[in-house]
Amino acid sequence: MGKMKMWLKQVLVTITVLVVAGFGMTQVAHADSLQKIKDKGVLTIATSPDYPPYEFQVNQNGSSKDVGMDIDIAKQIAKDLGVKLKIKNMDFSSLLVAVETGKVDMAIGGINPTDERRQSVDFSNVYYNGGQSFVINKADAAKYKKRSDLQGLKIGAQTGTLQYDLAQQKISGATVVGMDKTPNLIFALKTNKVAAVGMEKPVAEAYVKNDKDLKMIDSGYDLDINETGAAVAFAKGNPDLVAAVNKSITKIQKNGWIAGYIKNAGKHMSENTVDTSMLRYWHYFYNGFLNTTLIAIVSVAFGIILGIVLALMKMSKFKLLSWPAISYIEIVRGTPMMVQILLVYFGLGALINLPALTAGIIAVSLNSGAYVAEIIRGGITSLDKGQKEAAKSLGLSQKDAMRFVILPQAFKNIWPALGNEFISVIKESSIVSIIGVTDLVYELNIVRADTYRGIAPIVVVMVIYFLMTFILTRGLNYLEGKMNHD
Amino acid sequence: MTNPIISVKHLKKDFEQNHVLKDINGDINAGQVICIIGPSGSGKSTLLRCINQLERPTSGVVDFNGVDLVQQTDQELAKLGEQIGVVFQNFNLFPNMSVLANLKLAPMRVKGLSDEEATKIAMKYLTSVGLADKAEAFPNSLSGGQKQRVAIARALAMQPKVLFFDEPTSALDPENVGEVLKVMQSLADGQMTMVVVTHEMNFAKKVADEIWFMADGVIQEKNTPAELFNNPQNPKTQDFISKVLVAD
Repeated sequence: MGKMKMWLKQVLVTITVLVVAGFGMTQVAHADSLQKIKDKGVLTIATSPDYPPYEFQVNQNGSSKDVGMDIDIAKQIAKDLGVKLKIKNMDFSSLLVAVETGKVDMAIGGINPTDERRQSVDFSNVYYNGGQSFVINKADAAKYKKRSDLQGLKIGAQTGTLQYDLAQQKISGATVVGMDKTPNLIFALKTNKVAAVGMEKPVAEAYVKNDKDLKMIDSGYDLDINETGAAVAFAKGNPDLVAAVNKSITKIQKNGWIAGYIKNAGKHMSENTVDTSMLRYWHYFYNGFLNTTLIAIVSVAFGIILGIVLALMKMSKFKLLSWPAISYIEIVRGTPMMVQILLVYFGLGALINLPALTAGIIAVSLNSGAYVAEIIRGGITSLDKGQKEAAKSLGLSQKDAMRFVILPQAFKNIWPALGNEFISVIKESSIVSIIGVTDLVYELNIVRADTYRGIAPIVVVMVIYFLMTFILTRGLNYLEGKMNHD
Repeated sequence: MTNPIISVKHLKKDFEQNHVLKDINGDINAGQVICIIGPSGSGKSTLLRCINQLERPTSGVVDFNGVDLVQQTDQELAKLGEQIGVVFQNFNLFPNMSVLANLKLAPMRVKGLSDEEATKIAMKYLTSVGLADKAEAFPNSLSGGQKQRVAIARALAMQPKVLFFDEPTSALDPENVGEVLKVMQSLADGQMTMVVVTHEMNFAKKVADEIWFMADGVIQEKNTPAELFNNPQNPKTQDFISKVLVAD
């Protein structure tokens, strides 16, 4: 496959550089990492379980489990090393950074070992080459029989992937439509926005098997296996570990176990699609709801505390206090939250081992604090100057004036703006799914990948988000009414 | 005459190129009521604010019991400030707390009184301004006159040595002016030291021990009410007096 989006990669590289420069530490992988894994007794891998049959989640007795061909391979590797397997789920675009920054020992996820990627990470031998296919609507089967029939048409592919590049280079006159997730591409196909979707053969097979309206045709591309197969990624400079993994891969291939893994994956996939009602997946949504709520509440609480401190610092006449606050607020407001989340998870995470959820909460809190600071500052400066003078004339210290006179009034004035910030945190925090925090949006993608249903999970998540923000808005209005003494 | 509580010497205040106060001198003695009158923009309020340091003077000395307020840091001023009460034109009551809480806040936080002691003092002064029944009310439910009486009680609850009034009746509806002036009159009768910036000429005439007439950033004339109103010396005073008396 090759889901990595180019621009995102550039961002990630920039951040990695920033982190390395910023902390003055290079996350050089050590040649003794194989020994370390054995000493710890745990092999930690990163994967992105929204890509059946390579890796996906099954819904078993109300809890979800990572399965798929790659997972079986990883299990075999761990077994050969004599250690336990620990899986960290995250967005595909975060896999290589996780390896580079030492968050995990290796990444497996149908990753194509392209030359570009080889510059930042090392790869094992190719363990599987599924080949390239197109998925079309069955209704068009008579029209589109081979690749040349697609000339001059609109072809869908995941943005920045091998399939995207191939469609552009090898189908003359085609317009390639790039999208983020495979379920979205399938939806575009079904609504005739594209004529065909380029994807890897095992993935295409899975879609066709689960949807009677789809059909697969062979791509007929002539390709180099070393560019298009799937391989395991490692941080650079771990020859022992790479060798050990290659030994396992050779063993797996010699024994022909891959076919069994794929069959096994197919069994799990049909398990998932026996009943694709959203009700069966309620605990995914419930879990996502809990995490989204947790992130929002904790982040807003810390955001308010940080916001008060920053606002007071920014209003201080001492440059030593105001300056850091001003630059902090400017930097946070001037950079995307996604970048900040990556920086905290992979940057700060290189110094201390932060779980994704903790990193997500820290990043969202730090972000929210900057916005809350500006809201609070606005609330304070909009207060009548006379309030401050009255407090002063009574001999109240500046601290007491703030605590008893200024802040309570400022909070009442800014309550609606704070409420907006709370609601925006609930919605915007969905970006933490990129580092594998299982919030609502993350679970949404899992359910879409598992059930092959494009729209229903989106509607469910939308309703949940709406209910959350709606109930919150009512609650805040009620509290605002209680605060009103006017 | 006793030693002055506050002695102002060569006080100047510039707002950039604008010389609002030019070399102000004057003494405020214990038990004295001083009314500062003059046309709008003459610097009356600025003088008051420069004496109590709500506005920092450009230069000069404000001697308060032997301490030059101009030289004090903000923290040091906070301690001295409690001895100078201020009543503002716009009341500046804290709308987020009840009337009683408005009165109790400073005695408890600044003087460290217990809740019980502060309540006792607060109720004493609320009673003295005739608003004991409004203790639990919030400021925004009061009339302008009531608000200003609460503001006076709040200043008194700190038991200041001097009380400054900055146009205390200018923001009031005419029917509310009387009740506030009555409270001020009774304070004056009780030997409270007061400095009042006002446009209420009848009040000044009746209550003041001394009147400072200001124009163009200068005290043009200082005298007893009888002398200043009946026999003004300075041409600017004469002009002002003739206008306000005609208006009356």
